[in-house]
Amino acid sequence: MLRHFPNGMVDVAVVGAGQTKYGNHALGLKGMWAEAASKAFASIDGDFSPSTIDEAFIGSIAFGGSQLGNTAALLTEHSGMEGIAVRRVENACASSGFALRDAWMAIKSGQADVVVAGGIEKMNDLTPERKRYWLGVSGDTEWERLAGLTFPGTYALMARRYFHEFDSNHDDLVNVSVKNHLHGSMNPLAHIQKEVSFEKAAGGFMVADPLTLYDCCPTSDGASCVVLAADHVAKQLTDAPVWIRGSGAASDHLALHDRPSITQLKATQMASSKAYSMAGIEPKNIDMAEVHDCFTIAEVLATEDLGFAARGEGGKFARDQQGQLNHGNTTINASGGLKSKGHPLGATGTGQVVEVFKQLRGEVESARQVRDAETALTHNVGGSGATCAVHVFGRDR
Amino acid sequence: MSATVWMGYLIDHHDDFTVVQSPFVLDGVRVFGADSDATTLAVAALLHRLQNEEVESISVPEGVDGLSLSMATGVPLHSSEGETSPAWDVLMSDEATVVLARHESDVELTSMDVEVQADADFHHAMQQAWDQELSATHVSQGAYVSRAQYEEAGSSRLSLTGQVADEGLVWPPRFNHMVDGSTAANRNLQRTGRVQTWTTLSAAGAPSEFSLRAPLLGGISTVLLQLDDGPKGVFLTVDDEDALFEMEAPMELVVRRLYAQEGFIRYGLKARTVYD
Repeated sequence: MLRHFPNGMVDVAVVGAGQTKYGNHALGLKGMWAEAASKAFASIDGDFSPSTIDEAFIGSIAFGGSQLGNTAALLTEHSGMEGIAVRRVENACASSGFALRDAWMAIKSGQADVVVAGGIEKMNDLTPERKRYWLGVSGDTEWERLAGLTFPGTYALMARRYFHEFDSNHDDLVNVSVKNHLHGSMNPLAHIQKEVSFEKAAGGFMVADPLTLYDCCPTSDGASCVVLAADHVAKQLTDAPVWIRGSGAASDHLALHDRPSITQLKATQMASSKAYSMAGIEPKNIDMAEVHDCFTIAEVLATEDLGFAARGEGGKFARDQQGQLNHGNTTINASGGLKSKGHPLGATGTGQVVEVFKQLRGEVESARQVRDAETALTHNVGGSGATCAVHVFGRDR
Repeated sequence: MSATVWMGYLIDHHDDFTVVQSPFVLDGVRVFGADSDATTLAVAALLHRLQNEEVESISVPEGVDGLSLSMATGVPLHSSEGETSPAWDVLMSDEATVVLARHESDVELTSMDVEVQADADFHHAMQQAWDQELSATHVSQGAYVSRAQYEEAGSSRLSLTGQVADEGLVWPPRFNHMVDGSTAANRNLQRTGRVQTWTTLSAAGAPSEFSLRAPLLGGISTVLLQLDDGPKGVFLTVDDEDALFEMEAPMELVVRRLYAQEGFIRYGLKARTVYD
């Protein structure tokens, strides 16, 4: 039963969330999606049937060209959602962050009560050459790609410039890597569940100078799924909804060389500003954040662009371990982040929401639980910052 | 005779002709560098000539990409349908040498005294890689820049044609003028800039269109330059020179091969260190 609300009158909650383990997955697209969806549905406390879902938004790059067209129709057919309005959402690595925003907007508009947002990517069943082709398709093909750049290269350019402009060096990136591996070692859903020493991370194989293997996230298979509900429905489905208090999204020049600065992501700054404003909070109010650390330098920049550290202080933030679990004001990437939890491109954004959903409900492994977490943020970036979606969540509205 | 080094090549300038040669020698014979060919040498010869005089039109032999040459220099190709003769001809010799000569003028090839010994194994491996990449049967997994897309951006890619806009020079150009109906004046930017940042990608991390050659080169290097005219751009560095990067170091842009796909070579500007 749909009701029309003036824009903004209805509150939206996450009532269910689930994901596959990230990594080298034996299942294909249909199996992985079905697993993530079934876990999301099972996490809903009250009576729930997939037949009550009005719409679905599924983020994916369709890596490798597999089921490039009509992805969402195929997947929902295998998860009990036949007949509903579905579509694939593509914004590079921010695909499902934007799928979440679209799902949230569908409910906000009054056109839907229960909406699924999710994401999926199968990355590890390709030849190395095909994989390297697809890893670079979201940059500026005509100019960056023909200048030899894939994303390790673009982020390496940003890292070296950051070191030049600020009091920072590669050791700060190593600290990010060590922290996120520590967090990921405690996450049974993470792709890489092991700690790494500072010395090992500092001496890794050079991928794109100055970034080593330990500065780069893995390519992962995985799927994630969250169920959103309008407030009047959410109450019937769970006693512990996680409210979406703010949503912001923005875009920027696709190519690095078109941006005035390459040591900050304007899209992140704009998206987070909107999300904070909508939520009526400031960065200091965020207890935990899942940020888009596709490369360690990306986390350093994100801590600044999201307002957790001052401009130029992101390196120091990492050096001082301020993002480590329950050390500072805001825990950064308690899941292990993209660096350790993994990065199945299209699944990453809603995968971050799965972590936030469980953390705010106190449902993660006790060693990994952020203490007294009331407010959380997800930050999902497409490419080298051309697109960004930021969401703020709370146990309270 | 002693030669002038120009855009990484050797130049011998005369009133009616310009000789441009690769500096590399193998077994006593001039050979092309890793990403050079007759087209890139012809571009250098023409740009050298254009410093001091106008070139109305050129004819090119088979083996020189006339369209890329024209896009890189702004000099029109001579139409074979008319009755007039071209003002200048591009001539090729057996070795890695190209001559740009005023039509029907006498040319005298002189030996230039700069020789850089090429590594035989590297040279042959690189030639094989290019041959394989150029093969029409080679299905590259590389980024696809179609012929139409290459030609649309050709003058920007090869001769740094930018737009004069209210906010200053814009490069690469945008198409906003097609939306708002304004007229975008063009201007060619200087081919010089300063290093803002750089990286060297390992062969394993390089884009797949470079997968045949990147292992031979030990990876590929990219610089982000602040061009002396204002805009910024990212550029590969030339393949046959070991650049030592430094922040704010000056570099110049020269035309070289980028990659080949479906039997046709995409050329572009690559950066090389400016040596005193």
